[in-house]
Amino acid sequence: MLRALYSAASGMNAQQLNVDNTANNLANANSTGYKMRRAQFQDLLYQSMVQPGASAGAQTVVPAGLQLGLGTRAAGNEIVFTQGDFAETDNPLDLTIQGKGFFQVLQPSGTIAYTRAGSFQLSSTGAVVDANGNPLQPQVNIPPTALSITIATDGTVSYSLPGQTAAQTAGQIQLANFQNPAGLNSIGQNYYLPTDASGEAVLGTPGGAEGVGTLLQGYTEQSNVSIVEEFINLISAQRAYEANSKVVKAADEMYQQVNNLTQ
Amino acid sequence: MDPLSISAASGMRSRMESLDMLANNLANATTVGYKSDREFYSLYASAEATAGSMEAPEGADTAPVIESHWTDQSQGILRTTGNSMDLAIDGSGFFTVKGPTSDLFTRNGNFRLSPSGTVVTADGYPVLSGNGATIQSRAEAPLEITPDGTVNQQGQSLGQIRLVNFSAPSAINKQGANYFYLADPNAKPAASSALVYQGRLEDSNAGGAEGAIRLVGIMRQFEMLQRAAKLGADMDRQSVEQVAKVTT
Repeated sequence: MLRALYSAASGMNAQQLNVDNTANNLANANSTGYKMRRAQFQDLLYQSMVQPGASAGAQTVVPAGLQLGLGTRAAGNEIVFTQGDFAETDNPLDLTIQGKGFFQVLQPSGTIAYTRAGSFQLSSTGAVVDANGNPLQPQVNIPPTALSITIATDGTVSYSLPGQTAAQTAGQIQLANFQNPAGLNSIGQNYYLPTDASGEAVLGTPGGAEGVGTLLQGYTEQSNVSIVEEFINLISAQRAYEANSKVVKAADEMYQQVNNLTQ
Repeated sequence: MDPLSISAASGMRSRMESLDMLANNLANATTVGYKSDREFYSLYASAEATAGSMEAPEGADTAPVIESHWTDQSQGILRTTGNSMDLAIDGSGFFTVKGPTSDLFTRNGNFRLSPSGTVVTADGYPVLSGNGATIQSRAEAPLEITPDGTVNQQGQSLGQIRLVNFSAPSAINKQGANYFYLADPNAKPAASSALVYQGRLEDSNAGGAEGAIRLVGIMRQFEMLQRAAKLGADMDRQSVEQVAKVTT
């Protein structure tokens, strides 16, 4: 009897986590470069009540045995790296990665963080920095006299100076790729850090053989959260939560009836 | 105890076990690739009753018990996720993965790449291909998986995902975390002709209206049995109090 109560409680916990995850996805529906997370569940251990093959009499054996499951648990919530929609901004420093790669930015702590959010700006010293003020790596500097900035699909950054026809090359953007991006560690602010599960970053030039994807200037990548899908998730999580709470109630009532036997 | 109370008590006990099973099914209503468990009611018969003698004492020898379960292997709904490492099986079959001690079987196609590029499950167990090898990819390009399970990368085949099936459903048992293990060492997995769909996951086949109806059924049956047990106890009391009453 208590098995049913605990199994239902584990189901309620799991659905709660499912709703928490959906809430975070919906809250970030408008975050540039945000990648949705999806909760994954697994069944828990099984309690063997009757061993398969046990003797059920002189001649017969139990063919399958009796196993009672003990509920569910959250196995994790993985990041889903599907491509988000592109929004045109006409800002020359807004970049979208078409493909699997990540921008590298240098954090104040000296470690490199990886991000898909490509809304860059210029700092007071002319360096290309992201929305948090952390410089893009390898560093690109644009002089204040530059008229227009062009970023090619292969990551070459160039600008033109007044009175000159030839474009000046400012630098080359390199993107990073991971063997298993789902294993990256989110640290907030759209940043990811590599872990043992993700593997080391493999650097590559946009459009090159490393498969990091190409760059698109003047666009930002929207989050890949599908509002419709999240709402469907929310409904099914809510209903599953309800079903589990009904099991708690049923177990409680049955327990009560057992207690009423001794009157 | 009297036969009525014994039968009723045994029935109540098995309804409780049914509820345990239903609770587990409903708790796993959102577990990818989960298959519901169902109970098998059978009749406990005492040694005297099975000996075949006609003089077996009446009543008290049989009682309903649950001593085995079966797993409902019916197809769950395939849900589109758009993630290229999500695979769903349409038809009867299982992915074979290399577990820590032996091969395990699963319907949960929520795969990913390990840091070294091997296709693994969410727990890191390598997915096996037709010839028993793991499937190794390179970082550069996405994987394309055709319905027959062939994994291609940039037009090059990396192997065919092994799908197996079992002639007897009791050959495999659940071990938790969405895996089945081979319970019968004599059973040999056979090749399955099920199809694999990329970018989809198979939903759990538990939950929904059926669970609610079964819940009501279990509760009402339990209530009836509780009444029956009470009736048996009342009759016992009456026989003690009334029948044996010595009237003066």
